[in-house]
Amino acid sequence: MKEIMIGLGTCGISAGGLEVMKTVKEAVKERNLEVEVKETGCMGNCYAEVLLEYFDGKDRFLYSRVTSEKARKIVEEHVLKGNPLRDSLISVGDVADQIDFFKNQERIVLKNCGRIDPTSIDEYLACDGYAAIRKVLGEYTPAQVVDIVKESGLRGRGGAGFPTGLKWQLALQAPGNKKYVICNADEGDPGAFMDRSVLEGNPHAVIEGMIIAAYAIGADEGYIYVRAEYPKAIERLRTALHDCTRKGFLGEGIFDTDFTFNLKIKEGAGAFVCGEETALMASIEGKRGMPRIRPPFPAQKGLWGKPTNINNVETLANVPFILLNGARAFNRFGTEKSAGTKVFALAGKVKHSGLAEVPMGITIHDIVFKIGGGIKQDKKFKAVQMGGPSGGCIPARMADLKIDYDELKKTGAIMGSGGMIVLDEDTCMVDLAKYFLTFTQNESCGKCTFCRIGTKRMLEILERICDGQGKESDMDLLEDLANQIITTSLCGLGQSAPNPVLTTLKYFRNEYEDHIIHKKCTAHSCPSLVTYTIDPDKCTGCTLCARKCPTDAITGDKKKPHVLDPSLCIKCGNCYDACNFDAVIRT
Amino acid sequence: MKKIEITINGKKYPVNPASTIYEIVTEKGIDDIPTLCHEERLEPYGSCFVCVVEVEGQKKLLPSCSTRPREGMKIQTRSERVIRARKTALELLFSNHYADCIGPCTHNCPASVDAQTYIALISMGKHDEALQLVKKTNPFPLAIGRVCVRDCETVCRRCIIDEPVAINFLKRYVADADLKDMWSPDIPRGTGKSVAVIGGGPSGLTCAYYLRLQGHRVRVFEKLPELGGMFRYGIPEYRLPKDILDREIQWILNTGIEAECNRELGRDFTLDSLLKEQGFDAVYLAVGAQAGSSMRLEHEDDTGGIVRGVEFLRDCQIKGNPELSGTVIVVGGGNTAIDAARTALRCGADSVKLVYRRSIKEMPAHEAEVKAAREEGVEMHFLSNPKRLIREGDRLKAIECLKMELVDDEKGGRPRPVPIAGSEFTIECSLCISAIGQKVDTTFNDSPTRCDLESWGTLIVREDTFETSVKGVFAGGDAVLGPWTAVAAIGHGRRAAEAISGYLKTGRASKPPVRFYSFKHNLAEVTESELSHHQKIKREKMPELPLRERKENFDEVELGFSRQQAQKETLRCLECGCTEYHDCALRRYADEYQLDISNYVGEVRKYQVDNRHPFISLDANKCINCGRCIRTCSEMLKVSALGFVYRGFSAVARPAMENALMETNCISCGNCIDACPTGAITEKYPYKVVGTLPRENHASICNFCSLGCNLNYRKISDDIYYISNAQNEAVLRSHNQGYLCVKGRFGYRHLQELDRLLKPAIQREGKPRTVSMEEAVQHTQKRIRDLVEKYGPGSIGVFASPKLSNEELYLLNKLARRGIGTNRIHSFSNLLSGLHGDRVDRSIGMAVSTTDFDQMQESDVVVTFNTDFTEENHIIAQKIKSAGKRGARIIEINSNETKLTPFAHLWVDTKRGTNTVLFNGLVREVIRQKCHDPKVGDRIDNFPRLKEQVEEFDPAEVCRLCGVSREVYDEFIAQLVNREHRVTLVTNIDNLKEKAEHDLDAALNYLMLTGRVGQPHSGIIVLRDYSNSTGLMDMGVHPRYLPGYVTPEEKTEVDRIARLWEADLPAVFTGEEMTYDSIRENIRGALVFGENPFSHMESVRSLANVEFLMVCDVYSCESTEQAEVVLPMANHLEKTGSFTSAERRVQRKERMNEPRTGMDNLELINRIYSGFAPAYRGDLPAVILDEIRRVNRYYQEVRPGDIWGRDLFSAGHAPRVKKPAFALFPTSTRSFRQKDQSILLSEKYFVTKIKGKLML
Repeated sequence: MKEIMIGLGTCGISAGGLEVMKTVKEAVKERNLEVEVKETGCMGNCYAEVLLEYFDGKDRFLYSRVTSEKARKIVEEHVLKGNPLRDSLISVGDVADQIDFFKNQERIVLKNCGRIDPTSIDEYLACDGYAAIRKVLGEYTPAQVVDIVKESGLRGRGGAGFPTGLKWQLALQAPGNKKYVICNADEGDPGAFMDRSVLEGNPHAVIEGMIIAAYAIGADEGYIYVRAEYPKAIERLRTALHDCTRKGFLGEGIFDTDFTFNLKIKEGAGAFVCGEETALMASIEGKRGMPRIRPPFPAQKGLWGKPTNINNVETLANVPFILLNGARAFNRFGTEKSAGTKVFALAGKVKHSGLAEVPMGITIHDIVFKIGGGIKQDKKFKAVQMGGPSGGCIPARMADLKIDYDELKKTGAIMGSGGMIVLDEDTCMVDLAKYFLTFTQNESCGKCTFCRIGTKRMLEILERICDGQGKESDMDLLEDLANQIITTSLCGLGQSAPNPVLTTLKYFRNEYEDHIIHKKCTAHSCPSLVTYTIDPDKCTGCTLCARKCPTDAITGDKKKPHVLDPSLCIKCGNCYDACNFDAVIRT
Repeated sequence: MKKIEITINGKKYPVNPASTIYEIVTEKGIDDIPTLCHEERLEPYGSCFVCVVEVEGQKKLLPSCSTRPREGMKIQTRSERVIRARKTALELLFSNHYADCIGPCTHNCPASVDAQTYIALISMGKHDEALQLVKKTNPFPLAIGRVCVRDCETVCRRCIIDEPVAINFLKRYVADADLKDMWSPDIPRGTGKSVAVIGGGPSGLTCAYYLRLQGHRVRVFEKLPELGGMFRYGIPEYRLPKDILDREIQWILNTGIEAECNRELGRDFTLDSLLKEQGFDAVYLAVGAQAGSSMRLEHEDDTGGIVRGVEFLRDCQIKGNPELSGTVIVVGGGNTAIDAARTALRCGADSVKLVYRRSIKEMPAHEAEVKAAREEGVEMHFLSNPKRLIREGDRLKAIECLKMELVDDEKGGRPRPVPIAGSEFTIECSLCISAIGQKVDTTFNDSPTRCDLESWGTLIVREDTFETSVKGVFAGGDAVLGPWTAVAAIGHGRRAAEAISGYLKTGRASKPPVRFYSFKHNLAEVTESELSHHQKIKREKMPELPLRERKENFDEVELGFSRQQAQKETLRCLECGCTEYHDCALRRYADEYQLDISNYVGEVRKYQVDNRHPFISLDANKCINCGRCIRTCSEMLKVSALGFVYRGFSAVARPAMENALMETNCISCGNCIDACPTGAITEKYPYKVVGTLPRENHASICNFCSLGCNLNYRKISDDIYYISNAQNEAVLRSHNQGYLCVKGRFGYRHLQELDRLLKPAIQREGKPRTVSMEEAVQHTQKRIRDLVEKYGPGSIGVFASPKLSNEELYLLNKLARRGIGTNRIHSFSNLLSGLHGDRVDRSIGMAVSTTDFDQMQESDVVVTFNTDFTEENHIIAQKIKSAGKRGARIIEINSNETKLTPFAHLWVDTKRGTNTVLFNGLVREVIRQKCHDPKVGDRIDNFPRLKEQVEEFDPAEVCRLCGVSREVYDEFIAQLVNREHRVTLVTNIDNLKEKAEHDLDAALNYLMLTGRVGQPHSGIIVLRDYSNSTGLMDMGVHPRYLPGYVTPEEKTEVDRIARLWEADLPAVFTGEEMTYDSIRENIRGALVFGENPFSHMESVRSLANVEFLMVCDVYSCESTEQAEVVLPMANHLEKTGSFTSAERRVQRKERMNEPRTGMDNLELINRIYSGFAPAYRGDLPAVILDEIRRVNRYYQEVRPGDIWGRDLFSAGHAPRVKKPAFALFPTSTRSFRQKDQSILLSEKYFVTKIKGKLML
């Protein structure tokens, strides 16, 4: 059977995938072709969307950056006539061997993403789906399941890296008849989309992981807490839950055993802090999402006061693989203390942005250059920001660092959920710290004094530094406040909010000094510290810059050197970008 | 629980692992850990992080309020890191606390006069208190009230709206008002120490005064002929009349200060001679800065017709006013220049020209003075400066001046005047007064022991202690400051006195405590828009002497405010300072941790104060996000009217949906006020903010419903107080945990707002005549005696309010039965609610609770009926809700939805008046399903007839009559027939809207039948509407009972009491019931204590045949108008006594205020009683309580706080009854009657003034 699969993850949709799908379906129908047209999730190489894969019964042809027009052409030329469109084709056969982006990856979690139709439980079943839970229910006691997960070395992929097996053990040992499992799909870090992609591309893997977890700890009820901003993920989860219930994989006496498990979706209202487990539980209970003090830990007193186990999407998606293939199959990847693979969301100034699943222990350099294809416009690689707003910056000079939980922690950054933002020479590190702190400050629940007001005061200091109003004492003040906030906040949000500031202060102190002492932003990114002038020798009087200037700060006659009035200039940089003669000078 | 061992601050302690570190440290008294978000009644929360402690091996600091100990834990509660973190937390909180601790006026006053508070006191008509407050820090209100530069008014927030409050005029107003009979302070016994004060000016005399108040001996040395310094010799008569100054100085001297004039330091004595020869223990140097500065013009010192301003003014005082003519030039722009100019005018000068080198804007003189001078005709030459003297011989003829222009000062100071070249002009004159500055005359310092001086001649002192370089010598005022203001000199004088006093006591000068105050203007500019809700009100104009009357005399120009003006002006005060000054935890820690917020000043949240609730003010500016209000509202009261909104820096506690509180499900209980550690949630007091006045705690008992909630009065004065429980540990630990309902919280206001009845009166033919207490009592006694003679003792009725104390009620009982010999004693409130004593005689014996609140909370099923939780008894609703949370099933039987309904598992919405039917139906089902003891018929009488009585009430019939669905009814039955369930019924027997006559009987039949009376966690709670309804019955204020529910049938008990009373009780105590009809028939003389029967038709009719009526009440009312004798009653705050709550808990309260009526109620009743029987003597509350214990069999063992008769119902039925019986009655489906207006005035006040405003 011939097949056309179109990538309809959020990335594919936003690149125009639905339009492509419509065109292909029309074209196939018009010509009465015997080709099945299906949707799939994201493969990871989001930079190349819309992706269209054509299976001619023998080979797989992968087209990238497909438009409606191109799709019609593919149908007409390739499907109908058998002439592949060479210039849009990025691989023939297995992508893993063909494309650099995939060559260095090891895919466990993402294995089926972009390969199967996420709306079809049968396709999941066809690639060993729900085999793990069958095996578990048939062969293992809950304690044995816990032991296997412990042995695998799987650690929580949500950020903190707590050993998953141990977490399950605590929940299993907690006394009580009523227990819950929760899947934390409240992915909130800016630039992170691993969980979304997994839920969109392979929702059944997560559900299967949850059923296994429920069995392991003795829970009969579960929630998937997913942010409402992920409508596609929610839609596919609903379909998947419906199919599971229909097949008897959820509900009472599932898989023909006496094990009962019910699963509900809870849509989160979009507060970042609800990714924190106690806040998440408060939110499910209908309260304001605010963290509470621990202990008691969720494993002792969680949702509605009952023992509760909370795992992140990616963690749960690893579980079926481990139970099906054994702990060894999993921990042969990775390092001694960080087993397995990790999915990274590669973003920023890198050529190939997208999702990459790599074995733990890979270097930053390899991710950025081998998978990411290097820096856009071949500018200078400056740093990576790891772990989202709770993480930190690692400078280019440390690019040989082997990524695992413990190595990253030593740098002041964290693994976090796996966001990796690549920064080049144009990024101002003070501004970057300010950006992340603005995010955490806005997302603080407002409970703890230090997090609520302390981060605000830090932000104000950063703002004045970027504004050229910084004082020399500000760096000490920032460091002092940051350290106090870390030691006196209730939850992870507050405890990690100062990380971007602390790591930039640690690795890029010179940039702070430039701003404060020399009143310069070397990345030319802080408007208050940049001045634009026109070099009369280079200016040809083409008037382009004057026309682009929104405040009429540039004047001059045609074909005569122009002049920029600094008192009117708002430093938008339009002139700089517009000039074709390098006559606008930015200092 | 097994103890574990931990180390705190290096010391080992065995501790309970379930407590928190905070609890351990606090309970063991190891340290005083600060906390803002934690309170004992709530679950640990951990948000403020000021309670952090350091745990060895932990990188993080842990909030002690929510950390529990582990074996071997090592804790530091005061390490450097801990202190720093606490300090930072507090600084961060203050950096976002847009609020003023005290008024900026107070803070800016150099003499620290608490302006906002004295304005508030004037506003309340408390002039004496206002004056005494002023004199706490400034002994010169008469003088300073006339001449002060008013630093207070320049920072007055009203400037932003219109003009400052006339703060200083108000000070003068209270000082003037005191002139007639000046208040004098108490002087303590002598300390044996003595101080010499050099200089009898404002600073010296102030220092002398406050030293005297400490008991030290003081002698003042003055070099000029009279005391007063610059007040006398620098300020002209028309501004400060010298007779006024003399009065004030004399008042200061009257404290016992010795003074010697014409005695000069350096000439007549030296520092050494004072300290070593004359034996003074310390010296205060306040010699002033009295030497005029030179203009530095050629021949300035050898030309006739030039005089320095200070000298000119001084000479006017010493030698009398000179006669002037021609043109007088005054040089300078300060107050001395203006004073000299206006004086010159009054001395006859044809014209006075003032020459000043800057413009009017920069003039240091007070604006009002400048204005007055110009009105009086002083010509002003601004931007001009003398350049040269033009002489005729050695006399001045004219002055040549230069025009000046102002240039900006590079250093940010005042604009600098620069001469304009060639702008010379000449003014002819007969006299030039140069008033361009003063300096210290340092000749006093020319002795061997000298004090260090600054290069410009002022004395060098330590800023906080005023110590000079010479031991024992202190200095202040202008001698230290240079020429400055009188009020600053006064401030120095007082603070120096404190330092010196410390020095005299301990040998070391005491330092003032370091204080941190929050001010809005330190965080952001206070803008007009945020004050826009205040109306513009014109500042009261100071009445002045008309211009034409001022010339050529020195009469005082400003005449002072009238009383009305002062009153009106006080209303302009914006009351910036916080009401919670004393109780704010944030403030307390601010002083303790010595904060400096300068590093953290940035954006600040600003909110409009939300005053939409009639009694509660929400000032989110002061909110510190501790969540205590929210948690109290949701966790403790289960109301959830408050919550957090927004995130990050903007997160703040607000009413749900940001609505007005009234539009949420707020029940107006005000417990959030107690929960708030700052002033973010406060009561809207019915008086102005007097935040800084000290306050005292007075534990008391609520005088509204019968729950007996404990509460705490915060008393500022006899008539300024409010309820605040947070400050009283005992109240927080009482059975209501310090929680109150709207009645308890705000109902007290009738005590402040209603006009008191204070004088006894006798009325004949509608004409009242005020008489003495003695006459009123004698008249009453006589009238009673006459009626007894005419109609017999049974013609007298005594009626008592169920809100009187047990002692009062007991004594009234004795007055009736032992004194007058009548058995007709009752309460109109009980008559109104139809409570007849015999109804429950053979079931539980008395209409009281068989169980208590604690037991109730452990029940499996709690059934409420006839109780409207929307209005009443809210604290029991809270207890029921928490029982529900613990797992009890809550069933509410009520025709209306109430505030409890949402929490009830089952709402049985019967039609009004049909609850008897419902319980009959229940009894039928119990019998039918055989869920009772099969032998119950042997134990309890009437069982067969009970079966007959309920037979007709099959489920269909009950559902039809009650109007409830079959489904609801079946569930109701299922819950209550279950034998396993421990069931508690809760009812209010005064609720007239819901009840039918036999509801209680029917309910008791169910309890008796199922054996739930007296069983653990089962039984009935009988609520009443009034605070001592239970006590009233306990004390036998009922025709059927003697104290202790003794009935006439209990002969031995009656005899026992008769012996104790030495009375022929069997003859009197008939037990005959009283009804409205029997009252009308029999009663000719009525004594009514604390009730208003004339507000209720049926009661009025029952008194139709009364020939003599005496009414004793707190307020005037319809009944006092009808009474022949009116006696004023002491109110609840003015009595000591015990009260018995609905759970039979006997609680005692102490008197807070002396009776304003002049007589205690017990004393008053005792006086009346003495006309018929031997009077009581001694401490009446104690004596009578002691007698109650002996007479009332149930009170014998009871101590205040206990529940009487703990095991009373252990037999499962009425005590002392041989065989109990089921109640038999005709079943009615009619509700009793609509509730009439209450016959108690305090309840009426609550309904109209509190409920009315809340639209409940």
